[in-house]
Amino acid sequence: MTTAFRERVRVALANPGLQQALDRNAERRRAAWGPAFASLPDAQETRRRAAEIRRRSVAELPTLVDRFVDRVQQRGVIVHRAATAAEACSVIVTLLRERQVRRVVKAKSMLTEEIGLNRALAAAGLEVVETDLGEFIIQLRGEPPAHITAPAIHLRREEVARTFEAHLGMPYTTEVEAMTAAARRALRSKFLEAQAGISGVNFGVAKSGTLCLVTNEGNGRFVTTLPPIHIAVMGVERVVESLADLSVMLDVLPRAGTGQRRTSYVSLLQGPRREGDADGPMERHLVLVDNGRMEMRDSPLSDILACIRCGACLNACPVYQEIGGHAYGSVYPGPMGSIVSPGLWGTAAFGHLATASTLCGACRDACPVGIDLPEMLLRIRAEREEQGRPPFWMRAGMKGLAFTIGSPERFRAGLRLGRAVFRLLPRRGGWIRMLPPPLSGWTAVRDFPPLAGRPFRDRWHTLAAQPIDLEGGRLSRASEASAARPSDSSDLRSRFVGAARDIGCEVVETSWDQLPEAIAAYAEGPGTREILSCEQGPGPWRQLLTSLEDLGLNVVLAGSEGRAQPERYAGASLGLTAAVAGLADAGTLVLPSGQGRSHLASLLPPVHLAVLRAEDIGPSLEAWLPVDGHRWLAQESTMVLVSGPSRTADIEMTLTVGVHGPGRVVVFVVEKSPEAGG
Amino acid sequence: MQADLFITCLIDAFFPHVGESVVRVLQRAGVEVGFPAGQTCCGQPLFNTGFRDLARSQAQRTLEVLEKTRAPIVVPSGSCAAMIRHGYLELFQEDPIWRPRAEAIAARTYEFSEFLVEVLGWEPPRRAPMSLVYHASCHLQRGLGIEAAPRLLLERACGGPLPVLESECCGFGGAFAAEHPEISAAMLARRLGQIEASVAVWVVAGDVGCLMHLEGGLRRAGSGVRCLHLAQVLDGSGESLA
Repeated sequence: MTTAFRERVRVALANPGLQQALDRNAERRRAAWGPAFASLPDAQETRRRAAEIRRRSVAELPTLVDRFVDRVQQRGVIVHRAATAAEACSVIVTLLRERQVRRVVKAKSMLTEEIGLNRALAAAGLEVVETDLGEFIIQLRGEPPAHITAPAIHLRREEVARTFEAHLGMPYTTEVEAMTAAARRALRSKFLEAQAGISGVNFGVAKSGTLCLVTNEGNGRFVTTLPPIHIAVMGVERVVESLADLSVMLDVLPRAGTGQRRTSYVSLLQGPRREGDADGPMERHLVLVDNGRMEMRDSPLSDILACIRCGACLNACPVYQEIGGHAYGSVYPGPMGSIVSPGLWGTAAFGHLATASTLCGACRDACPVGIDLPEMLLRIRAEREEQGRPPFWMRAGMKGLAFTIGSPERFRAGLRLGRAVFRLLPRRGGWIRMLPPPLSGWTAVRDFPPLAGRPFRDRWHTLAAQPIDLEGGRLSRASEASAARPSDSSDLRSRFVGAARDIGCEVVETSWDQLPEAIAAYAEGPGTREILSCEQGPGPWRQLLTSLEDLGLNVVLAGSEGRAQPERYAGASLGLTAAVAGLADAGTLVLPSGQGRSHLASLLPPVHLAVLRAEDIGPSLEAWLPVDGHRWLAQESTMVLVSGPSRTADIEMTLTVGVHGPGRVVVFVVEKSPEAGG
Repeated sequence: MQADLFITCLIDAFFPHVGESVVRVLQRAGVEVGFPAGQTCCGQPLFNTGFRDLARSQAQRTLEVLEKTRAPIVVPSGSCAAMIRHGYLELFQEDPIWRPRAEAIAARTYEFSEFLVEVLGWEPPRRAPMSLVYHASCHLQRGLGIEAAPRLLLERACGGPLPVLESECCGFGGAFAAEHPEISAAMLARRLGQIEASVAVWVVAGDVGCLMHLEGGLRRAGSGVRCLHLAQVLDGSGESLA
């Protein structure tokens, strides 16, 4: 194990392309982390609460999971509990076979990597397509993910271009936008043809029975909406108690992971499609996987169960930056992986990863839920020592050291012996050029300091006796400069508009009278007269749709035939939705699904036009989700929070918009409406 | 004001000049300095490599030595101070006798710059201008959360804004450097590049562990840049690290 690790490390260090890619990841992600948290009113307090919520969840896990399962079942989701990876795979394979499924689309999920689901599905003769851009790339290349949130982080654009040339039959191009567009085209038909969609779950909410999925590209929305069957695969530890808890987790997860205030999409999924709903799967399944987690609660590593898989520790880690994800030889790399891997699969196979850390603590600082990763690495090292796993030289060396420092007399004798040995070694400028093994690694690239002729303990007495020369220096209390925080503007509307523009939305402030023309202005130009609209909306919505037709637009109502038919909407270049709320903290639009509210209007066309009443703007997700959000979720089967255009940075960390969802989002903020039916 | 020094084994054995500067600076700040007899090493190498039984005996020995004192204990190393303040508590987590003893010592243990700034509120005298760059060592900055104190001291001593290297580990990590020399070397190379780019002549830090690693790398690379402990800058002794 250890030698294989060492070999992979050497390969990684010798790969200049990989080194460049890793540096780029570290640089961008670290730069984004600070400003993202600074945008919270009190980042420290939010992190403290997030940490407390996760600890509470882990402490009460068995009862919380039971409540969660009950609630999810009441929502009409079919729940399967799997104790092991093999059991989880077999549940899923059986379920798909029984329904004669042949084609499956998947949204990125580390848990499905952990349980080896793709292998199991392929062995059962199913066609599985990964739809996250990064996962899609590495699936074509037959590689495992190199990072838990950015799977293709190890590749340069030239390598992706060659992969696409070979597998998608497209001409070689290193244009990231062209490659993204090719993936979009290749995957769009897969979404339409798939008979089942498989996704992970970021958080499950016990009280409301909600499955929360956090994505940026929009593929997760397709996977959980279009195919007739949706299977959500979730680790048991990812439960939180309430929607209020969820809102705190959603404040920290994207900030820590990608430096975003909110990901482009937050899907809140509950039951399957109900009678009259515009879209959604006919069946929704939840496969709840234990695979060693409950047992880990009683181990010294239990705190890692609080981990929310944001990837911040990987981005912060200087060792990960040098060796990348594949070197770890585990599905979970980096600091969290060095604890999760031995936690799940034992120290015999993965304990050595805990030695590959300087204990610098960058991971602990970056962790949004306050996990003391270095402390747990130390516990794994202690367990390894109890099992006699450290190499012989280290065991001998540490015993020798312990003996030497065990008394001042032996320490002094040790120094004398050391000086005698050091005298035999080659030096330059007083420093030693070459040490024998096992310390030869040190002198391969560094000099080693000589032992002092007279140690400090022999100099102390003369030092203490010297007269004190009191030149300069003053005693005074240092005053602390307190940084003033810029005061929050109370104007919700202008805060919303500012935040929405920050994340790449276009915002048009208008009135109901002028709204039809404002919308029609986006239909100028050839081939853009078809607009896919939700049937339902606030204010004089029907009147608005009639006015748009009068202005020459061809309005297609999504889901008006009882079930949305995506293949019929391919011609629409505009999608029109009505947001039930706008959240000023991150420029977020809230779009519930259900009768007359198809997901597809905000997902299929390349431009998403969203109407938002000014009076529906609220301050934050934290304030909205437990109150109004709770009401909506009680009525509807699903809801999505949209924050800006569909985006990815999966190729060379280059931000590209419009992967699977719309590349343009226009928000029409409408003045208080005249009373009218919708 | 009295204070007792836990000098650390690296300073004792390899860098006694640093220890002398520490004593002189404390004396100038009006401190009557003591050096508890019998001290050797805090046991951190044993703890960090997982040899907890050996580390526990060494921690007990060190606690017994330090228990003979009453004054604040000053440690001129973020790493060793963190071991006494945090590591010992982890070692004796479930020990009803040693845990409170470790807590009592931890409560009066201070890292050198922290003691000067937070406890004494001492302002150092102005020194001749030097071309410095500060390396925030991991255990000082992250392990103990001491960020402002060493920078404040250096800024006052040198009379100007202090250039600071990006907060990143130098790649030493104790036994890590011997166990994973390739990774350690890659981290060191990155750090040396940053040092060269800073055009400073001296690298200053509060931990001789990081400094011996960095200076070893600088010497091997043929660089003229040298390292100093914070106390040596405040002391203005003009002596080198080793």
